[in-house]
Amino acid sequence: MAIPERIHRNIDTRYWNPGAEYFPVKNRYTAGVAGQRFFEELKENGKLFGTKCSKCSVTFVPARLFCERCFARLEEWVDVGLEGVLYSFTHVYRTKSDEEKENPSIVGAVRIADGLLMHHLGECNEKDLYIGMPVKAELKPVGEREGKITDIAYFKPL
Amino acid sequence: MRKVAIVGAGLTKFVRRALETPKELSFEATSTALDSCGLKLEDIDCVAHGSAPDAFDGIHQKGEYLADGCGGWNKPTMRVFVGGATGVHAIIHGWHHVASGMFDTCLVVCEEKMSSAMPHAQGFFLTIFDAITERALHPNLLWIFALEMNRYMSRYGYTKEDMALAAVNNKRNGQLHPSSQFKDEVTVEDVLNSEIMAYPVSRLDVSPVSDGAAAVVLAAEPVARRLTDKPVWIEGVGWTLDTAYWGTRDLYYPRYLDKAARMAYEMAGIREPAKQINIAEPYDPFDYKALHHMEGLQLSPRGKTVELLRDGHFARDGNLPMCPSGGLLGVGNPIAAAGTMKVAELFWQLRGEAGERQVPGNPRLGVAQAWGDLMQVSSVVVAGI
Repeated sequence: MAIPERIHRNIDTRYWNPGAEYFPVKNRYTAGVAGQRFFEELKENGKLFGTKCSKCSVTFVPARLFCERCFARLEEWVDVGLEGVLYSFTHVYRTKSDEEKENPSIVGAVRIADGLLMHHLGECNEKDLYIGMPVKAELKPVGEREGKITDIAYFKPL
Repeated sequence: MRKVAIVGAGLTKFVRRALETPKELSFEATSTALDSCGLKLEDIDCVAHGSAPDAFDGIHQKGEYLADGCGGWNKPTMRVFVGGATGVHAIIHGWHHVASGMFDTCLVVCEEKMSSAMPHAQGFFLTIFDAITERALHPNLLWIFALEMNRYMSRYGYTKEDMALAAVNNKRNGQLHPSSQFKDEVTVEDVLNSEIMAYPVSRLDVSPVSDGAAAVVLAAEPVARRLTDKPVWIEGVGWTLDTAYWGTRDLYYPRYLDKAARMAYEMAGIREPAKQINIAEPYDPFDYKALHHMEGLQLSPRGKTVELLRDGHFARDGNLPMCPSGGLLGVGNPIAAAGTMKVAELFWQLRGEAGERQVPGNPRLGVAQAWGDLMQVSSVVVAGI
């Protein structure tokens, strides 16, 4: 049966468990020409790289293949270190299926060079966080790194 | 309305699985197109972007995601999406921007990365079928093309071998295209012996799954004349929607294209397209569709198309070369990019820059067409030099 009735109040729909009708196709992605090298550096050498556009004076982090402003092909790779500045943050209290999270998590936007990385914050007391706080990436140990953004376990106060 | 010309074009290679991200593919095609006419991104006034279902690249709102790869940063940028017809429709979309007088230059960029779909891009087509009346049958897209191909063949008494001739024509042309994802020659026997997917559709009757991007640069007349002594003018554009109930269409004749083609020809002042058009790039995701669309484009009398094909009329050195690029069957089918590739082919052929695959006889007028959405929309561009 198709759905037989209308629901007039948003709250009554709640969350649908997809069950057996779940859409069966997924996507797999490549990190791309620049992304592949960025993640290899992170995995193998524990380094974060950006690419610099000299003309626009911008260093993109994570590294990109091209400058979106002037369309230059970016060939200058810069080791930008693991430290950054907390540009903004949020505390997350509910899951995406609208259940209360047992452990509210903290998500930060971390400025590194001219890039902004969204990532978890750890080893910190939420009351002590402030915008502009120096933070540093805590990497997973070499053997556990897979060449993913989660090779950074979290950022922590410096 | 102002006259609009194509002044530059660029393609990536079409491949089965690209390392490049969709943005990076778009960047490669776009920067090649800019280089081809000596322009910088700062010379571009606006971007007309096209990409087919979000699902292929696996990124919702992929128009916004792709924009910076298409040169859209900080520029008026708009995406158009009419499924398979997107690649030609995006040209019409860009033409509007320039013909209206709003902008002097426009980048048209189309991209598709189908390899990200797991297990296969075909799965995404499930949800284009009616949720209540058709999806319960677990259809896939090949079903309707098989039904259409069968109906087309039986209407005119065509055989599978007849259809295979179109695949061979296009794939042979495609072997000369530097962006093609194929290298090997394909014979009629190869097509007939390839496995049946949904009768009468066999594997080599179908274009492949591809990743790629294509870009062209449009310019208003005064700018175009400054940039090049060989502008390729957009002489006519046309597009039409047929019914979305695919089952109530004439499966053997593409009415969705008939009207779009007549609209474009009228604008271009073409009264006898079969005599006046020098090269045709009909949309050919399947071999029978190339022939079906030649009829819809009024370039071949209904039911006589196979005869003309067998007589060499549609060969590269024939009276009316069909898919000199190689088309989707011969170059590859990164959906939206494939349609734009056809317009890029008109650009190179009309300028005499198509290299090994150049059509002889200085062609002056060409038509490119694409088809899509719920298989009911068609977009047509007539270009001339």
